[in-house]
Amino acid sequence: MTIVPTQVEPGHLWESLKHQFGAHLLRHDVRSPNQLMIWTDTAYFSEGAAWIYHQGSFETQYLTLLAIEEETHFSLYLILLLKHYKTLLTLTCNVDKSTVRYRALSPNIPAAEWHEREIHDLFGIIPEGGNLQPLVLHRDWPRGEHFPMRRHFSESIPIREAPHRFEMPAGAGRHQVAVGPIHAGIIEPGHLRFCVTGEQIHRFDAQLFYTHKGIEKMAEGKPYPAVLTLAEQVCGLCAFSHSLAFCQAIENLGGVNIPPRALSIRAILLEMERLASHLADLSAICSAGGFGFASARAAYFRERILQTNDHLVRHRFLRGLNQVGGLKQDISNDAFRQALETLSDVQLQFATWQALLLSTDSFLDRVEGTGFISHEDAGRLGLVGPAARGSEVDVDLRRDFPYGVHTQLPVSVKRFDGGDAHARMSVRIAEVDASLSQIQILISELPSGSISVFYDAELPPRQPAVGIVESPKGSLIHWLMMENHNQVFRWHVRSASYMNWRGVVQATMGNNIVPDGPLVNKSFNLCYACVDR
Amino acid sequence: MLTLLKMWLKAGRLTQNALEWSNSANAVKIERKQFLSLPFDERKALAQSLLIRHLDVGSNNAEEAELVALSSPCYDISRFGIDFTASPRHADALAITGPVTRHLKIAMERTYHATPKPCLVIAIGDGACYGEPYENTYACLGAVDQFLPVDVYIPGDPPSPREILSGLLECKRLLGQKTLS
Repeated sequence: MTIVPTQVEPGHLWESLKHQFGAHLLRHDVRSPNQLMIWTDTAYFSEGAAWIYHQGSFETQYLTLLAIEEETHFSLYLILLLKHYKTLLTLTCNVDKSTVRYRALSPNIPAAEWHEREIHDLFGIIPEGGNLQPLVLHRDWPRGEHFPMRRHFSESIPIREAPHRFEMPAGAGRHQVAVGPIHAGIIEPGHLRFCVTGEQIHRFDAQLFYTHKGIEKMAEGKPYPAVLTLAEQVCGLCAFSHSLAFCQAIENLGGVNIPPRALSIRAILLEMERLASHLADLSAICSAGGFGFASARAAYFRERILQTNDHLVRHRFLRGLNQVGGLKQDISNDAFRQALETLSDVQLQFATWQALLLSTDSFLDRVEGTGFISHEDAGRLGLVGPAARGSEVDVDLRRDFPYGVHTQLPVSVKRFDGGDAHARMSVRIAEVDASLSQIQILISELPSGSISVFYDAELPPRQPAVGIVESPKGSLIHWLMMENHNQVFRWHVRSASYMNWRGVVQATMGNNIVPDGPLVNKSFNLCYACVDR
Repeated sequence: MLTLLKMWLKAGRLTQNALEWSNSANAVKIERKQFLSLPFDERKALAQSLLIRHLDVGSNNAEEAELVALSSPCYDISRFGIDFTASPRHADALAITGPVTRHLKIAMERTYHATPKPCLVIAIGDGACYGEPYENTYACLGAVDQFLPVDVYIPGDPPSPREILSGLLECKRLLGQKTLS
């Protein structure tokens, strides 16, 4: 189904792509007015991607890079968002099964580095000129022969003890501080390594992927409702964002139109999830900054949000409500009205809390200037969500690639220019206020009508589908390809935390001391489960 | 704030009751009379403290969120004499969440060996209890009880703070029995 692409864009984008790629443009496809796919050859993949990425007028944002194994070859899919055109561009190339090589993207697109390493670990596809250090699989995994995401992999690899290796500067007075994977508090597992002189941090690195479960592998060959359950299990804190992104991917693929009431309810619940997540983050920041009272208050607000969730959906983390075509059950207007009362109470108390927090000098002294990350670094590493907006990077998918009610309902993007823990905290405070007022608007204008459409048609096989949501921690992408009989062929999740982890490493290495480590970490407050999958 | 301060002055502690919805079927309540009617051993066990080391072996962060919520002022778990410790060497019980992953199996076993015996092993959430809804893959090994002797199962997706709390109170009884025997 190839439509003439001039329909997408009044000339400029398509013309410039065609001109740049020339004979390297093998094929193209326009799925919907704002999704463009182009196929290129392996040799030109890296160069073409770099050209698109560095076109200032396109305002390109890196979303994800993934690999799939087909019968005769591997395919790489690079997904970019051209903010200027509000268009999703997928650049694809085939990689030969005998050579398994392509020119690395990361020298030109640094944000792609982790994805290249992940693909190298799981598929054994080598990015020439890129970083080949293991990422997802730990040191004890035998290198170079076992690639678990390949189709026919079914061996079980015995577990061996193999220490992690970190490149740390040596010298008189320098020593290393190792933290984790079992932490002192109730935190997810990860191994953090600081190289310090006295209290000053010189270098910082992290070994993650301890909770890597191979969820993407579990999904292969399963019918999509079963994979929806798995999608909700990727992360506990943004379960609704994950299920929504997954449903949107299938709905885009099948061309399902969602009734307006379901769209509004989805948007309300997404904002509820944002509230809960941001309040948890704020509580954690206050606790890491040694302000126990404010931390306890924020935790109290959060608990009220979670109890409201429970009241609305019968699940504190909003699991089990989304389905392809809408929602599984309706939520009455009365329940929403009741929720609104709780929320206005929280809003009132939150304002008092905020005034107290922002006038406590001893606390502000802890967060100001801590964990600085510059605007350039944030852009280079492709940070997303509050972490990016705290360094004045202008990203928010609700505005850049609007979905659901956001096609009509504008979102004001809250940005701060400090680049430090204080700025990231301020973004969250501003977004809590914005979410509260947005929920009030959405509930007052809640349309009536049905909440789902029945959908069980056969989805087109081997066609890529993308679902995009601005989750509490930033942009979230679910990429999906179906097989015959509505079975999932390949499912790829790129969470917000995945992009932001390199930001944590960068920010910790700024001018910080060891006791700032937890505070920097909490100012991002990333989810390990989302990253590890 | 002012209300809180007033409450604080009146009650002597900074604890607010969470708003409670009508379904209190699994509410944790121990009435004084009921408590006094319990046998001595059990009363002694309930009155003792329980220190827990939390151990994430591959969960999806929901169970952790509920454990954190337990320490918030709404549930204030320390009024039951229950607390989370920083080291397994100070712990009476290990609270394990998530299906065991390949990368955490060794860390889990080491933490178990570092915990003084007799200790309880508590599996929290469907992942830890049954390995569900995940499947075994190259990186996911399944339920906790294949590797460690589990004493208490608190299933749920995730279990609510109330359910975890009632499970932990049950642990106090069990620990009393284990220490006696």
